[in-house]
Amino acid sequence: MAPGVNEDPAILRTEAVSKSFGRFKALAGISCEFHRGRLTAIIGPNGAGKSTYFNLLSGALAPSGGRILFEGRDITGLAQARFAALGIAKSFQITSIFPELTVHENVRAVLQAREIRLNFWRSRNAYPQFVAAAAALLERVGLGGRARVIAGRLAHGEQRALEIAMALASRPRLLLLDEPTAGMSPEETQAMMILIAGLVPAHTVILVEHKMKLVMGIAERVLVLHHGEVLAIGTPDEIRANDEVRRVYLGQREH
Amino acid sequence: MAGLSLDLLALQIFTGLALGAVYVLLATGMSLIFGMLTVVNFAHGAFFALGAYAGFLVLALGGNFWLALLAVPIVTGLLGMAVEWGLVRHLYGRGIDDPLLLTFGLSYVLVELIRIFAGTQGLPFDTPDALAGAVDIGIGYFPLYRLFVIAMTVTILFLLWLFLERTRIGLIIRAGARDPEIMRVLGVDTGRVWRLVFGLGTAIAGLAGLLAAPLQGVSPEMGNAILADAFVVTVVGGMGSLAGAIIAGLLVGVIVSLTALFAPEAGDVAIFALMAVVLLIRPQGFFGRAGLMS
Amino acid sequence: MIAVFLTRAARHRALLAALFLLVLPFLLPFRATAVNVLIDGLFAVGFNLVYGYVGLLSFGHAALFGGGAYATGLALLRLGLPWYGALALGLVAGAGIAGVIGLLATRTRGIYFAMVTLALAECVYYLAYQASGVTGGENGLRGIVLTKIDLFGLDLDFVDPLTRYFVIATIVALALAALSRILASPFGAVMEMVRENEARARASGVDVRAVRVLAFVLSGAFSGLAGGLQALHLAIVPIETLDYGNSGMVVMMCLLGGAGTFFGPFIGALVFLLLQNLVALVSSHWQLPVGVVFMACVLFLPRGIWGQLARWRPA
Repeated sequence: MAPGVNEDPAILRTEAVSKSFGRFKALAGISCEFHRGRLTAIIGPNGAGKSTYFNLLSGALAPSGGRILFEGRDITGLAQARFAALGIAKSFQITSIFPELTVHENVRAVLQAREIRLNFWRSRNAYPQFVAAAAALLERVGLGGRARVIAGRLAHGEQRALEIAMALASRPRLLLLDEPTAGMSPEETQAMMILIAGLVPAHTVILVEHKMKLVMGIAERVLVLHHGEVLAIGTPDEIRANDEVRRVYLGQREH
Repeated sequence: MAGLSLDLLALQIFTGLALGAVYVLLATGMSLIFGMLTVVNFAHGAFFALGAYAGFLVLALGGNFWLALLAVPIVTGLLGMAVEWGLVRHLYGRGIDDPLLLTFGLSYVLVELIRIFAGTQGLPFDTPDALAGAVDIGIGYFPLYRLFVIAMTVTILFLLWLFLERTRIGLIIRAGARDPEIMRVLGVDTGRVWRLVFGLGTAIAGLAGLLAAPLQGVSPEMGNAILADAFVVTVVGGMGSLAGAIIAGLLVGVIVSLTALFAPEAGDVAIFALMAVVLLIRPQGFFGRAGLMS
Repeated sequence: MIAVFLTRAARHRALLAALFLLVLPFLLPFRATAVNVLIDGLFAVGFNLVYGYVGLLSFGHAALFGGGAYATGLALLRLGLPWYGALALGLVAGAGIAGVIGLLATRTRGIYFAMVTLALAECVYYLAYQASGVTGGENGLRGIVLTKIDLFGLDLDFVDPLTRYFVIATIVALALAALSRILASPFGAVMEMVRENEARARASGVDVRAVRVLAFVLSGAFSGLAGGLQALHLAIVPIETLDYGNSGMVVMMCLLGGAGTFFGPFIGALVFLLLQNLVALVSSHWQLPVGVVFMACVLFLPRGIWGQLARWRPA
């Protein structure tokens, strides 16, 4: 089946998903669809339920109610490894790499783990296709010159870029990024936003971000959460013009 | 088993409860230490043996069993606090394996010290005169000392419950076991509370060793064998849960006792089969929280 | 200097290991210790595969080592297999027992793993103890006789200590070379992923539990082979081979030398046995100093002897 033909434009949709922790209702029935080849940003003030929603989308948490459909298939309640196997890759809010391996090995390990796991005998270096693919991915995220460095010694911004390369290495159908610029310097943030903007339309990206201003320039659609509910959804221009959104963000440091 | 009377079965179950009582005490101490400090105490069996030998020493020096009942938990408790202060304390924050490995090394040292001072051979341990003999408990004659072990265990658990539920320190311990942050907010010296809990756990372990001594005699290795049993109890009951320690301890005691009657050749293996079944059906144990698994 | 040397050494680790094994019996103050270093070293290397490379602390490796020893002994005694067939059976037995224990124990993680493996190994001990008709029970499996080793037409005298040493050294060297390849293979990379960052490995589509079970089985194969070699060497399998003490010994050896390093466990076995032998000259209470040294190692040298050396870099 050729992609794009008689297919639903939405790669992922949630139907009234909710999540409760004990008596606390973190999310109350979020319905939303995410389109192929687009960059959708999820924003909202602290405690809006962004992280909870992200964890539901990535399979780290199971929803208390509602359904999650990926490419038309109900994936509600599947284990996280199944989410990964279906092609849903995520970056972590806290940097998550293999710190003792080199930058190149980090990416190659992910590439190789997709296809060859049970070979106990050949050298892991005997697969030139992975070596080349890893180098290409590092080039793409701007780490081409840092391939031989031990990943744990990279600067913070570089580690986050490495994470994106690792997420791409698993050849995801959908890429979920959780606050990829958290803790970055302004320069690093700038570079990261350019990198993310360049991922579409080759990839489908969902980005969770606390700072509203950052995503307005690069997102095609924006979902605003507030108190665990959808406050608004639309293009950045529509969101900017939305009175409710202005009111919620008023008085916040970030605009 | 046509000749088997119901009374014999009941007696055997009762015997199992007495044996289980020792397991309950061991597992309670382990769970207490783990619940508070997230330290798996591999020297717990060594403290058990130490308690038995400390009791032996009290008797050898002319004291009686009742004095030993008082002295043993004090000795093993203080030693436990010294161990926490001198050794275990330095490993907090280093991950869960390091304190485990340290206490494992400590068990070698403690057991070898016992061998040096008391010899490598096992020694008999007389049942105190006042507790010798048997009494009719309605279903048949039952050794008085085993009844005493059960009664002591109930008493110790009751006192522990009182301590945890009715004292300020107990409240702090229960709060701390759930959330170390709260301790900091309350302005409690966590170091002292942790030391106390470690000592409490080893005191109970020593007491369990003393109570077990008249049942099985004393030997330097007595703690090694029972450590594996205590682990089975802990896995079955759920780590960090006192209710789990009690129920699983009694269950394991009864199973050991019943297999000894019906299938003696399977006696040593039965409880491991129980553990395997629990692992397959409910890996976190009866009362375990799934979160502790990671 | 040291770091540079060690980096180079790492590249030729199999060759270096072979060289070390060649000179070992002439360096040790106790000639008889050399064979034990080989066997326990291989055992510790097998243990390191799960502890050092996938981060699982097993306290039940005696069951894998002992299982291999009994299988090899029984194969020679009862089945009449040639020595290499008996060793192969020991290896398979170690892997098989590891499969069963691993499948059960990996249902739990973290703190439980050490306890469950310890308890299951105790279970194997009691099973062997009860099955005295097959295993000899508490007397151990006696009467294993191997005087000649036929190797590609060569007839080697297995009674001669030095010949015996080199036969066993050859087998251990081959096992180390195999391990080196496994660590460098794609599966070795997956093991590294699991150790380094479990969550990330899982998010990359790696079935973490399957990797753990497989690593445990591989570890069982090496441990079983080591056990088989010990059965040939001692001509008896004592029941203590399955004992908790044996599980604890391999933990100590691996940590003393350095978990997660290629040579560490071997060095650890060497140091442990030397210490044991030296103390035994003056006292039978070797467990006291060994326990103290081990505690000191956990407190002050958590990377172990070799692990610390390998991290030593010029300031």
